[in-house]
Amino acid sequence: MGHSQLDQLVSMANQIADNNEHQGDENVVAAFVALHLKRFWARSMKQQIIDYSKTENNQLKPMAAKAIALLAKEYA
Amino acid sequence: MLHYFEPTKSDPNKDYGTAASLSKELVTLEIDGIEVTVPEGTSVMRAAAIADITIPKLCATDNLEAFGSCRLCTVQIEGRRGFPASCTTPVNAGMKVVTQNEKIAKLRRNVMELYISDHPLDCLTCPANGDCELQDMAGAVGLREVRYGFDGHNHLDAEKDTSNPYFTFDPSKCIVCSRCVRACEEVQGTFALTIDGRGFDSKVAAGQDESFLDSDCVSCGACVQACPTSTLVENSIIDMGQPEHSVVTTCAYCGVGCSFKAEMKGDQVVRMVPFKGGDANQGHSCVKGRFAFGYATHKDRIKEPMIRDTIDEPWRAVSWEEALTFAATRLKGIQAKYGRESIGGITSSRCTNEETYLVQKLIRAAFGNNNTDTCARVCHSPTGYGLKTTLGESAGTQTFDSIRQTDVMLVIGANPTDAHPVFGSMMRRRLREGAKLIVADPRKIDLLKTPHLKGALHLPLRPGTNVALVNSIAHVIIEEGLEDTDFIHERCEDKAYQAWRSFISEPINSPETMESITGVAAEDVRRAARVYAEGKNGAIFYGLGVTEHSQGSTMVMGIANLALATGNIGREGVGVNPLRGQNNVQGSCDMGSFPHELPGYQHVSDDVARGNFEAVWGVKLDNEPGLRIPNMFDSAIAGQFKGMYVQGEDIAQSDPNTHHVEAALKSLECLVVQDIFLNETAKFAHVLLPGSTFLEKNGTFTNAERRINRVRKVMPPLAGKEDWEVTVALSNALGYPMDYQHPSEIMDEIAQLTPSFTGVSYQLLEEQGSIQWPCNEEHPLGTPIMHEVDFPIGKGNFAVTEYVATEERASRRFPLLLTTGRILSQYNVGAQTRRTDNQVWHDEDVLEVHPHDAEERGIKDGDWLGISSRAGHTVLRAVVSERMQAGVVYTTFHHPGSGANVITTDNSDWATNCPEYKVTAVQVEKVSQPSQWQRDFVAFDKKQQAFLKKQSQVGA
Repeated sequence: MGHSQLDQLVSMANQIADNNEHQGDENVVAAFVALHLKRFWARSMKQQIIDYSKTENNQLKPMAAKAIALLAKEYA
Repeated sequence: MLHYFEPTKSDPNKDYGTAASLSKELVTLEIDGIEVTVPEGTSVMRAAAIADITIPKLCATDNLEAFGSCRLCTVQIEGRRGFPASCTTPVNAGMKVVTQNEKIAKLRRNVMELYISDHPLDCLTCPANGDCELQDMAGAVGLREVRYGFDGHNHLDAEKDTSNPYFTFDPSKCIVCSRCVRACEEVQGTFALTIDGRGFDSKVAAGQDESFLDSDCVSCGACVQACPTSTLVENSIIDMGQPEHSVVTTCAYCGVGCSFKAEMKGDQVVRMVPFKGGDANQGHSCVKGRFAFGYATHKDRIKEPMIRDTIDEPWRAVSWEEALTFAATRLKGIQAKYGRESIGGITSSRCTNEETYLVQKLIRAAFGNNNTDTCARVCHSPTGYGLKTTLGESAGTQTFDSIRQTDVMLVIGANPTDAHPVFGSMMRRRLREGAKLIVADPRKIDLLKTPHLKGALHLPLRPGTNVALVNSIAHVIIEEGLEDTDFIHERCEDKAYQAWRSFISEPINSPETMESITGVAAEDVRRAARVYAEGKNGAIFYGLGVTEHSQGSTMVMGIANLALATGNIGREGVGVNPLRGQNNVQGSCDMGSFPHELPGYQHVSDDVARGNFEAVWGVKLDNEPGLRIPNMFDSAIAGQFKGMYVQGEDIAQSDPNTHHVEAALKSLECLVVQDIFLNETAKFAHVLLPGSTFLEKNGTFTNAERRINRVRKVMPPLAGKEDWEVTVALSNALGYPMDYQHPSEIMDEIAQLTPSFTGVSYQLLEEQGSIQWPCNEEHPLGTPIMHEVDFPIGKGNFAVTEYVATEERASRRFPLLLTTGRILSQYNVGAQTRRTDNQVWHDEDVLEVHPHDAEERGIKDGDWLGISSRAGHTVLRAVVSERMQAGVVYTTFHHPGSGANVITTDNSDWATNCPEYKVTAVQVEKVSQPSQWQRDFVAFDKKQQAFLKKQSQVGA
């Protein structure tokens, strides 16, 4: 059935991180994932995931969270 | 003395009798005293035709090999005995040929007399009257009497075969020239026809002497086109007579982009005949393009603009002005209430480049956001991402014709003989000539059953394991030293290559390790890797079986890695060839339909590129990407996205997880649909704007080989406006002025703003016939083969492609994997082909189940099967088939009531959100009634059809 918008964004962010673990060390991967979000996600999607990343007990995997932290700096 | 040479480009409207020779050696001879210089290997018949000397012929035509059976083309050659057939006689230097003298004339008359002695003399009432080569030849040789009469044994009472809905076979008219049989073999590659019997009893037979419909015939029309009499003739010719004029245009079905002559009587299409001058199809066609055009005049066409306040009330037919004002007012009202980003639109991969360009321009400039997307989102968006990352351009690298020099074909996740039939025939021709074939596909596709296939290897991988397979092939190439080190050194980025090499060499990528994931025997993978890497020219062809996965983009990069590692890029016969689904998928992507890219794949954050558009469009543009289609749906359900303009796409049927899509569409406050029919999406619309078919408009399509082809109007648009005119009017109603008088002006603007299109114009298209982009200062006539010298990003970029298993996997609850696809006779959501006689071949979607899985569940052919996934439940009829491996079931989505996408899920490609149509975990069981969704669908459809009918009655 359907899914919530936020669930889907979290799932997508985690999936991007999972698929790019081999890009290099964790800083390289985080930068790659952050750049991907920057280039391909709409403004509203970025804002939602940044806001969500600041909530406690969120479902973001560590690498996705690290990337979104980088993104947050650019969109502060 | 006049001297003739083989022209650089043949006249597509002339039949030279035999094909051109590709030899570079030239030979000069004399025909009827005229000197002709032609390539070695040219026939005397063709050399004569080049010098405008017409030799009578019946069994020869220039898309078939010379046969020499009719004996009408006999000539005399100085120093040779007898009367050789000019079609089978190659030219020699210094040869002196006589094509007309008394002896030859007598011989030809005798030959014709024998033909006519067993041919009905009903020329005046014959359907071929006015287009009959037999009649023409009788005239040419001066036949005045037939001495033999009809008293003896003859074929005049032979029974007609009218089983095919599009053409009739009348064997009483047959002269047994074998052109139809040879066309079926040489052009189409199906071998459905044969000559049955010997001597006087010889006759053309379909299959094992079956009817055409029951035989292996695929209704491509090649036999009908080849027939010199009325033995095989289109039913439309029987009904309407001969056309009186024709217009060359481009087919609106698949991504092959075949050129056709629309043969007309006034503004009525009599028949579509594949155009020999078409650079993509070279005179061939398939059942869709050739015959399935009747939808254009179907009674279901929407003929007037309509509006309504809610989807629970009947439509009101209104003027264009009222409909457009209604749409504009509502869309602007939504933006005023919910914000600038609360609306968006979808461009059509079935519409022209110019129309697509205008829709994305309207969204970016008039809506003021980048919420534009296209159906390529759900098919080839990973191709754009993957090829741009590795090769620097979001497009295939070759021409179709390049396959003539291919030695090894690696076909991954594509079924060309069904989905790209004309190119499938080109592939089969090359396979018959000896090219090797490797197919990586869960199903045993028909290409593997090509007659006279010399060597083939099938890698039947499990759905969802493409990347594991491509990595293991690449692993073997590196491990066994099969890579092209010179190419890699000269043409590829070393740092990226070293990183990839180190990754791909890891034991985890070996075929022995991956075997447990892919299900493909390691030794077969090693053999495939060797065949691909060691063949002189290796070409990769792929389709949606590559892209529609959670790792679609990774797989496209994996494919590019293979081509780079083996140096199979940058020349004829090689390359990476995405087979595009719809007619203008390539074009819709090129034209800036994606939310992150302006036309020409220029990112919206690129200040220089965006600045160019702002200057010409006179408006400030957003520098952030917009929403993609699935993001729009999510946002709609969340209550943030409220309005949509959808041109020529049926997202309610084609997009995955139908429940979710329907919920999103129902939550919109204004849905504007522009389409030729009340499609599934239009049932959720508030504004319905009549669309125009490809026959009703001017413009261009770009096919899978980047070829820009002209679309030419042959009849007026049914509702008065071509699609681009509707977008112009909507934009004006929204307050963003657009002013174009003709699509050529739109193309001029595209050329001004798109670096890969700067040289493209309608004038150049008229001169060249077609152009493959890039077409600019560097490549003034276009670029057939890409990356010959360098890549747009300088050097080729190897990408690390780690295999990450999809989260969608078989479980105890859902133990089978469903994969979806297409068949030959239907096209995409079926909106067009379901409204033609193509229904004869496929009037419902079925579920193909492997005998093992069927036996376990007690399933027999024809049983009703309930198919459940975590997304939904639907019911289809069973067909037990060994085309799939055990554990995999397969269906198509051509019929809306099937609900194939009720089952598919919201899983998607990590990079592009392209849905994972090809992998859905399901359970299948026998049931006795349709699913709840199907019952709801029938009720909703009935209600919406009644709303439309009510409007029609008011309108009438």
